[in-house]
Amino acid sequence: MSNQTRRPALGNLLRRPETGSLLGLVTVFVFFAVFGGADFASATGAASWLNVAASLGIVALPIGLLMIAGELDISIGSMIPAGSMAVAIVSGHFHAPILVGIGTALAIGAVVGFINGVLVVRTAVPSFIVTLGTLFAVAGLVLGLSVILTGTTSVGIKAGPEAKWLLGHFIGGTFQVTIFWWIAAALLFGFVLHYSHYGNWILAMGGDKVSARNAGIPTERVTILLFMCSGVSAAFVGLSQAILYNSAQVSAGQSYIFNAIISVVVGGVLLTGGYGSVVGIVLGTITFAIVNQGIYYTGFDANWASLIIGILLLLAVLMNNTFRKLALAYSPARGKSRT
Amino acid sequence: MKHVVKLLLTAAVIAATATAARADGAKIAVIGGKADDPFFAKIKKGIDDAAMVVKAHGGAVNYLQLQTYDNIGGDAANLIRTAIAQHASVIAAPDWVADSEDEAYKAATAAGIPVMLYNAGGGDKAKELGAINYIGNEEYPAGLAGGAYFASHGSKNVICVNTVPGAGNLEARCKGISDGIAKSGGKSTQLPLPASSFGNPTAVAEAIKATLLKDASIDGVATISAGDADSAANGIQQAGRTSKVKLGTFDMNETNLERIKEGTQLFAIDQQPWLQGFLAVSLSDGFVNYGLKTATPTILTGPGIVDASNIDATIAGAKAGYR
Repeated sequence: MSNQTRRPALGNLLRRPETGSLLGLVTVFVFFAVFGGADFASATGAASWLNVAASLGIVALPIGLLMIAGELDISIGSMIPAGSMAVAIVSGHFHAPILVGIGTALAIGAVVGFINGVLVVRTAVPSFIVTLGTLFAVAGLVLGLSVILTGTTSVGIKAGPEAKWLLGHFIGGTFQVTIFWWIAAALLFGFVLHYSHYGNWILAMGGDKVSARNAGIPTERVTILLFMCSGVSAAFVGLSQAILYNSAQVSAGQSYIFNAIISVVVGGVLLTGGYGSVVGIVLGTITFAIVNQGIYYTGFDANWASLIIGILLLLAVLMNNTFRKLALAYSPARGKSRT
Repeated sequence: MKHVVKLLLTAAVIAATATAARADGAKIAVIGGKADDPFFAKIKKGIDDAAMVVKAHGGAVNYLQLQTYDNIGGDAANLIRTAIAQHASVIAAPDWVADSEDEAYKAATAAGIPVMLYNAGGGDKAKELGAINYIGNEEYPAGLAGGAYFASHGSKNVICVNTVPGAGNLEARCKGISDGIAKSGGKSTQLPLPASSFGNPTAVAEAIKATLLKDASIDGVATISAGDADSAANGIQQAGRTSKVKLGTFDMNETNLERIKEGTQLFAIDQQPWLQGFLAVSLSDGFVNYGLKTATPTILTGPGIVDASNIDATIAGAKAGYR
């Protein structure tokens, strides 16, 4: 991408992976600003979609990177509740220090991610199938363990003021502190994808894994690391939600699988890998969150919510596709563009 | 190799004797919800507790659970047929979707297997199907009780947050709330949320916040599950309306109960799931073994209102997994 940023002409701007997603975002924002009125445009209105985007965004980022690398991780659907339950059981039920609970949750995420990565690398079974397996396996493990350990499937947790301040409070009563974690995650993943050598490796792996390996890229290590990132991120979202809402349930989080993939695709990442950007993923997540929450500010009957969500998302993706075609069909006079 | 064969044979013999031993008493097949559903976990505890009695009578309980709730009626009907094929001596099951399940119930009756309805279906359905009895809650009256409770505590405009729009039992809950509050001149409208919000507490909380900001006259929020009540409490707080908007919910969890104790949640409507599991199994056992039957046609385990007046006993029960 760096060869494009050097020449900031309009044509190049239109060909950036995130241009389409930005236009999609502007479209849905204008739509709800018109139909949602003053409340939607206010700070509390912005909090509505930012709060939803934050927790979704933290999982969508590593999922996006995985998808760029040509992989998929749907085990996040049970890693989120696993993270919630881990912190709630360790610190809520057994009253261990909150740091131990947080550490346990993140460690579980890393371990599950590691297992996912190793299985994908060693077995060559498509990651969709591998993580489908771990999706069920982790769900079963969480349920079984929580019933054995606590005798129930819903555990309460009262975090101390420091943990609450860091992970589960509302700034000014409206903005979740999770938003800042999301920004931090976006900066981190943005650096990895766009400014470190890992980024080129990831893009190359999604383009053609065999050539990437032949070119000397440690594809196995990168794949395993990416799965560990998504496991840890999902566990993080789970534990911060448990601290925020003071309770954890074994079965919450399945909707994240789909929502994260939608956000990533709306953000311009190619489903088949090899193309995408972190800014795009962030914009896609915000677009999805606005579409999902904006409806409550409008006068529309909420029964139609799903229909409107569907149509707006389709529009956003279509806009994206148009711009991606522009970008992929582009061949500068002095030689072929990298993507 | 020889050892392996021997081991396998021994295992087979043990398994065969175990099955034979179990076949002496009543073979009670219980169809139920997913085990990771916090609500059904309490029913399951009741079933497990009653299973001790069944075991003492020489019988056994086989719990057949749904894997997902995506096709609840059809899947439950298949489980009923599985129980018939296993020659259960009695089948206890919820009638979630009458249109899908009733045929399976009739097949059970035709095969000479008595049926006990619990958790969903209602007394009229039990009579229609010739079931032994119905043990459980009736959603609409539970909603009515909730609506009346809201009205008696001064709420005039209540939203009923439905995170699974279209599910018959949840629609009945919201309709009950609406009719219950209408008797005192108040009103209640449903807030249906799309499937993309289900299981995402932030999305539910933000939806409730937005709705409260849009309509300042809302003074009550009813939720259809305990987890949603946690989200609602958060949404109400974000909208800055904790003192004005009262919160009530169907079902409950530890955090709900603590809020009731603190005074930031008004009440929870409990259908006492442990009783449903316990009674469904123990009454089925008594009926099959000894022809015991209660004279009460429908055994309602709910609605029980949990509020500040009975919160301490409820918290004690919740700690032990009974509530």
